[in-house]
Amino acid sequence: MTGGEATDLGQAAPEVSAPRRTSPLIVLVHTVTFRQARQVVPAAIPVVAAVGADGAGVVVALVVAVTALSLLFAALTWWRSTYLDTASSVVLTRGLLARSVRTVPNDRIRGVEVEAPALHRLFGLVRVRIDAAAGTMTGGDEEVVVDGVPRAEGDRLRTSVLTHRRAAVAPAGTDPSAPLPEGPAEEELARFDRRWLLYAPLVASYLAVPLAAVGALSRLLQELPRALRPDLDGPDLTDVRVLVVTAVVALLLLTLGAVAGAAVVNWGFRLVRRGGSLVAVRGLLTRRHTELEVDRVRGGTLAEGLGMRLVRAARVNALVTGLGAANRRGQLFPLGPRTEAVRLLGVLVDDPGPLAPHPPAARRRALVRAVGSGLLVTAAGTVLFLPTGFWGVLAAGVVLTVLGVPLGRGRYASLGHATGPRSFSVRSGLLVREQAVLQRRAVVGWQVRQTLFQRRAGLATVVACVGAGSGGYAAVDMAAADVAAFTEAASGRWATAPPADLPG
Amino acid sequence: MSAPPALPVREPAWSLSRSAIWLWVTQGVLGTLVYGVLVAVFVLAVPSSVGGPVPVLRWLLPALVAVYAVVAVGIRPWIRYRVHRWEVTAETVHALTGWLSRTWTLVPVARIQTVDVTRGVLQQLYGLASVAVLTASSQGTVRVPHLEVGVAERVAEDLARRAEQVRDEAT
Repeated sequence: MTGGEATDLGQAAPEVSAPRRTSPLIVLVHTVTFRQARQVVPAAIPVVAAVGADGAGVVVALVVAVTALSLLFAALTWWRSTYLDTASSVVLTRGLLARSVRTVPNDRIRGVEVEAPALHRLFGLVRVRIDAAAGTMTGGDEEVVVDGVPRAEGDRLRTSVLTHRRAAVAPAGTDPSAPLPEGPAEEELARFDRRWLLYAPLVASYLAVPLAAVGALSRLLQELPRALRPDLDGPDLTDVRVLVVTAVVALLLLTLGAVAGAAVVNWGFRLVRRGGSLVAVRGLLTRRHTELEVDRVRGGTLAEGLGMRLVRAARVNALVTGLGAANRRGQLFPLGPRTEAVRLLGVLVDDPGPLAPHPPAARRRALVRAVGSGLLVTAAGTVLFLPTGFWGVLAAGVVLTVLGVPLGRGRYASLGHATGPRSFSVRSGLLVREQAVLQRRAVVGWQVRQTLFQRRAGLATVVACVGAGSGGYAAVDMAAADVAAFTEAASGRWATAPPADLPG
Repeated sequence: MSAPPALPVREPAWSLSRSAIWLWVTQGVLGTLVYGVLVAVFVLAVPSSVGGPVPVLRWLLPALVAVYAVVAVGIRPWIRYRVHRWEVTAETVHALTGWLSRTWTLVPVARIQTVDVTRGVLQQLYGLASVAVLTASSQGTVRVPHLEVGVAERVAEDLARRAEQVRDEAT
């Protein structure tokens, strides 16, 4: 393991023997963002309140003091932190007074992400996140961050860590059923198209971006001193024209905000296969560079929200074992046409064929469940209406019941499962329809659930337990009689629990 | 409990220790006591003259506690004991739990990551222990409650040893 070992990137990864510090420029970045000084803010607020923030002199003094404090914290943190990547592990040392040394063995490292937030980019710095998850669900802070190294050093660190990692893991054997062969060539799998931004207003998570911005802004306004707040008259809400104009403007702003939000997150998105890794790059202000190992991919999910289904759009997430923050990191295809998403999913995992629909009893159950709550409200409304004449609850109940019919039908239409020679698939979802396509080897167990009602209807919910993504993917309400055939076809003969021949 | 339609998965062969029934009965009694005390305090402390729903609650709550007592002490432990089953075969660990809803969990020995044996306070009283077989998935955990301590320990040891021998990529 001496220097100059060739990597998949065709670069050399020289050995580093002495602990390194991050770039001193990061002190400036952290001073400006109050990264370390932020912890002091809760203590500072009462002090400020006690002193009172009136008078320009006090404000200036306060700003200067806070900045100086922030600079001090940032500099101390920088001075006391080092990192070191060796052939066997990555070692991080930090702490102002109490020293902490964190050693991450290379065979525990699952991926490396290099990101460049806007301020970092100004100074030519990047942030390297090293994923070292023990189990997917044990949670906790399993992430190692080296914040603020020059871009070249960041790339070197990534290459070096991944090279060592591969060397550490390689003897465990590469899985022959991995769908992608290793190869040094770089192949582009997907590339961002600006037209895809038009889908953004129909996606709930992007719609939330401008709403969150409005929320933050109004909170900020609330916290401004009374004297600084502009004294505006509230709009005249009785005028219909004002209401209509406000609604139209709000809708426009919401649409624009969603498009802008999607652009900021996804700008320049590009997914390439490089050697044994999938590399995704995206982001306008913060450039994110995520690397996933193909060997650890167990499948993928195709998600379509209600609005996305209208325009045939979809997103794809990869299911990768031992990946922290899987929702953000596993995102392979943030937003785009469904055909493109399906093609990409096919690269991750074999297509198991068309989905088999679930029995009619499942449709009845979906309808009953969707209409049930509405009927309950209607009943309560009737009880309330007869003596008091108050019709609000009754009306709401009727509306809910009527809405429940298409909702229940949609829920049933989402249901399906399929098995192929090397993969299988399940689909469900009420508003967001999610299809998971998994490799056979992904299954670490099965869970079959039957409620009282499902038992009477001859249905069962089958959950494929997977050490990736959310931990389990369910085929809801499939015929109880089909369960054994499905689980056997999707994983192996063990799934039918062949009779005992060996007492514990 | 009329004749149920075809089972989605084969029923595991072995039942729990019979002491499990008495442990569940004890849990039911304790639960009833806690609810009973709470309701008694309510009935004593809140006079019906307060109005609103209080007069109704003064007889409804004790009735609910009585129903809970009958179900939790007299019915549920026996149904649970009939439902709960487990089995270890050459290839898999397999358990069935629940009383109204039923859950089968099946894990192949090759994918086992850890095997836990836990003994709660009440379990120690009855000489029982629970076994949890964990995998890489948060949902793929086989839990077998209330086995005799000796059995639980033997099973855990056997599974851990076999898992080590046949472990493939355990994720």
